[in-house]
Amino acid sequence: MRKPDLDTYSRRAVLRVMCALGGAWLTLDLAKVVHAAPFLSAAELADVDAIAAQIIPTDATPGAREAGVVEFIDRALATVFARMARDFRSQLSEFRLRCRVQYPDVPSFAALPRQQQIEFLQQVERTPFFERIRLLTIIGMFAMPKYGGNRDGVGWKLLGFQDQHLFQPPFGYYDRDYAG
Amino acid sequence: MKTYPLTQAVDFAIVGSGAAGGVLARELSRAGFSVVVLEQGPRLTLADFEHDELKYWFDAGITNDVVKNPQTFRDDHAKRGERNMIRPSLCYARTVGGTTVHYTANYWRFREIDFEERSRRGSIAGTGFADWPIRYADLEPYYTKVEWEIGVSGLAGASPFDPPRSRPYPMPPMPVKSSGVLLERGARKLGLHPFPAPLAINSQHYRGRPACIHCGFCQGFGCEVSAKASTLTTMLPEAEATGRCEVRSESYVVQVVTDKRGRATGVRYFDRDRRERLQKARAVILSANGAETPRLLLMSANNRFPQGLANSSGLVGKYLMFNYTARTHAVFEHELNEFKSVQCSRVVFDFYDSDPQRGFYGGGGIDSRIGPQPIVWADRIGEEGASWGSAYKARLMEFTRTMQVASHGTSLPLETNSVELDPELKDAWGMPAMRVTYKDHPDDLATVRFLQARAEEIMHAAGALKVTSAPIKPQTGSVHLLGTCRMGDDPAQSIVDRYHRSHDIPNLFICDGSSFVTSGRGQPTQTIQALAFRAGEHIARFARRSEI
Repeated sequence: MRKPDLDTYSRRAVLRVMCALGGAWLTLDLAKVVHAAPFLSAAELADVDAIAAQIIPTDATPGAREAGVVEFIDRALATVFARMARDFRSQLSEFRLRCRVQYPDVPSFAALPRQQQIEFLQQVERTPFFERIRLLTIIGMFAMPKYGGNRDGVGWKLLGFQDQHLFQPPFGYYDRDYAG
Repeated sequence: MKTYPLTQAVDFAIVGSGAAGGVLARELSRAGFSVVVLEQGPRLTLADFEHDELKYWFDAGITNDVVKNPQTFRDDHAKRGERNMIRPSLCYARTVGGTTVHYTANYWRFREIDFEERSRRGSIAGTGFADWPIRYADLEPYYTKVEWEIGVSGLAGASPFDPPRSRPYPMPPMPVKSSGVLLERGARKLGLHPFPAPLAINSQHYRGRPACIHCGFCQGFGCEVSAKASTLTTMLPEAEATGRCEVRSESYVVQVVTDKRGRATGVRYFDRDRRERLQKARAVILSANGAETPRLLLMSANNRFPQGLANSSGLVGKYLMFNYTARTHAVFEHELNEFKSVQCSRVVFDFYDSDPQRGFYGGGGIDSRIGPQPIVWADRIGEEGASWGSAYKARLMEFTRTMQVASHGTSLPLETNSVELDPELKDAWGMPAMRVTYKDHPDDLATVRFLQARAEEIMHAAGALKVTSAPIKPQTGSVHLLGTCRMGDDPAQSIVDRYHRSHDIPNLFICDGSSFVTSGRGQPTQTIQALAFRAGEHIARFARRSEI
């Protein structure tokens, strides 16, 4: 087995800290010393995580965060979706820059209060970047868990979807006792 | 299994192993001819087919691939084509069995009107709206053949709109789903005539394949038990069993070769190791689908045929047609669990015919559906309201109580809608990529708007708590790839004659979705296969008489 590489390990540690604190400002300093692998830097990851958590928020039921969407996106951009990685990164940089210009006193999108995050996303929801990260969030939420998201099938449970090979009629309420 | 050495010229080289190619391979090998089928994709087995939505919908698990098989798209000839990086514009399954491996398996016969609408209705300015050179009666025996040879479940006579048929379906319809019950309930309240969906999916054991196990993964997926009929599991094994047919997978044909007399002599292709090969043949049949067939003809241009093969009319690749599918979603009080079983169980054909009183040309079918599986469903539901945030999440949680109604419409043939070679972009083999130009005719959009309003009425009548529809936007791609080498009697207006022989090259035949003259109302595969059974019979006759 390959030895876990230190950078990857640190990055994961950062993510854990980030999730544990529920906020991201702490990660920004750490980000400077953490090298990006597989794809996104810790600072980028913090913003991606914050965006995904607004797309499918956590409330009484799990959201993108519990499904591990940010880990999915990071891994996917280095593997199955490598073809869109370069575009994604440059679009993400534009997004972060725009956020910085609009909120010069706040270091990143992830560090904005929730309501301001929502307001900012409402401004950019028609951009190609938002459309892409939205799609990646959905894929990370509902793809097979082997890709790193949909952890423990939380996305499927949220929907009520069952991944099975065999079902039998009746399938639902309305096809019971079907008279024709 | 039979293999032919490259030194041997076979009777027929068939390019493509899908809906049409699979049927032609079986018919011609059974008729005693030597056949090589060249398929660009790999040969998969049932064990390869997973419920992996990411792989099959977003990573070219089974389809053409935006990286290796790039395409560009534009809606206007003045624009430069833009490359799509998520899904190809013209999407098909790139595997042995072709699109029949991953299709939804809705098998709708065309009706009489589809073949002769131009005569009955009159011309439509600015379009290539035309009659077919054949009529429904010419195809009826072959529609029946499709139902019995491929295996279609359905209920003959259940629809007052069913065209004349010589035999009932060989299997009863699939069990109704909750969405089917609700569509039926709403439609009947409005005085409409819903009927069980005809599907090429086994409702019982049929011809060596088992009955459906209702796993829900039809659309976009290969069937893990082969209850869904693909040519991979029906026609091709039967062709191979003759001992005269070789299915050569991972063989990407890039040129139809012609001689000094202007006759086809074979096909040049890349094998799986990217070595260039030549398969010689007495005749060549293109069944590569409505996107790849015209591209191959254009790529085959040579000194004698500088515009590409079979293209003296200049119409190869023109008149590209799709079928618009407009979506409506309805939420009900109780669970439907649409993710289970086949995608569709009831259909409404009351709006099939065009009606001049509507003020536009067009008609279509409405059916009850699964929205596809979770990822695609979650993506698409965002078009009908909140697309992110708390309200969106609340919508996601209505998954099991939601059904979709799909409205399928006509596409008018427009010369400006086309498949061409991109002037710059190349594919992974260095061949010119496909450039797609498409803009819906305003009547096509008006048709689906009309149908969508009917779908909404049906859902309200069924007692839905909430009904929403996806906005009708211009199409930028499709999986129904039709019309690009249309059939006709006039060589100046069409590519192939009524027997699928190209007007320009006597031993080059073309049979697939590209042969369509009009789009039909939404589900083309059964017609593609009926055409292929019919073409197989005629081509075998020509070959026996040495007329190829």
